[in-house]
Amino acid sequence: MLDQPAPPAPPESPSPSPAPRSEGGHTGGPPRRSEGHSGGGGGPRREGGGPGGPGGGPGGPRRGGKRQYFRKKKVCRFCVEHVDFIDYKKVDMLQPFVQERGKILPRRMTGTCSRHQRWLGEAIKRARNIALLPFATEL
Amino acid sequence: MDERIYDLIFICRPATPEEEVNKIVATLEHSSGEHGGKIEKTEKWGTRRLAYRVAKHREGFFVYMVVKSTQGDLIKELERRLKVSDAVIKYQTIRLDEELKRQQKLGKHRERRAGRRPRKQAPPAPPQPAQQVPAAAAE
Repeated sequence: MLDQPAPPAPPESPSPSPAPRSEGGHTGGPPRRSEGHSGGGGGPRREGGGPGGPGGGPGGPRRGGKRQYFRKKKVCRFCVEHVDFIDYKKVDMLQPFVQERGKILPRRMTGTCSRHQRWLGEAIKRARNIALLPFATEL
Repeated sequence: MDERIYDLIFICRPATPEEEVNKIVATLEHSSGEHGGKIEKTEKWGTRRLAYRVAKHREGFFVYMVVKSTQGDLIKELERRLKVSDAVIKYQTIRLDEELKRQQKLGKHRERRAGRRPRKQAPPAPPQPAQQVPAAAAE
């Protein structure tokens, strides 16, 4: 937030060098990820700046200049509840993190933090081994 | 060697009579006593649906045990017995003491931190007027 005012301040002049740099720095990944990030971190800033503001640089052009809505920042459900151990026996707790076909949902979908995702993956794999969760649903 | 805690789950064929399950449990208890271990807890979860077919069964009778032992040989022996018995179609042993230790450590750490300074309640995510933004833009 602090370093942004200087280079891309005039939005009319499309200077080639700062734009790619800022995009690479902020949002290297797929667009979905960038939404999640900027929705939390850059949400309030963008409210004032609008599409022309410097903050609108990375996210703005991609979405056609105007932000349509703000994405709520996802929080790790296990961190909120202070879970220190994910029990593989509680299937109903693991179920929301598994797709219908039995795949483990990625972090970017569920918002789980990396530590809990690691424990979660382990728990799901244990549950699969003892037939509490499917490896893949049979058709 | 430190005492270790294991989770042991085994699945019997759904048609197994109750006495036979009890017999298996009794043999496991007996052999764990011989090897200097102890079965802390035995839970019969009853007949449950399996997430996938195991030995052509779609259901199974689950038995859950917590085993405490200082010798790894006990687990070898228990698993051998489960493998031999015809009624058991699946079993899984998981060593849990390290994870429980980690859980306790994290809990203690959290308590300490909570005691040191009155923790501010993390404010719940502010209700964002997500829906109103496009409406305002349209006007």
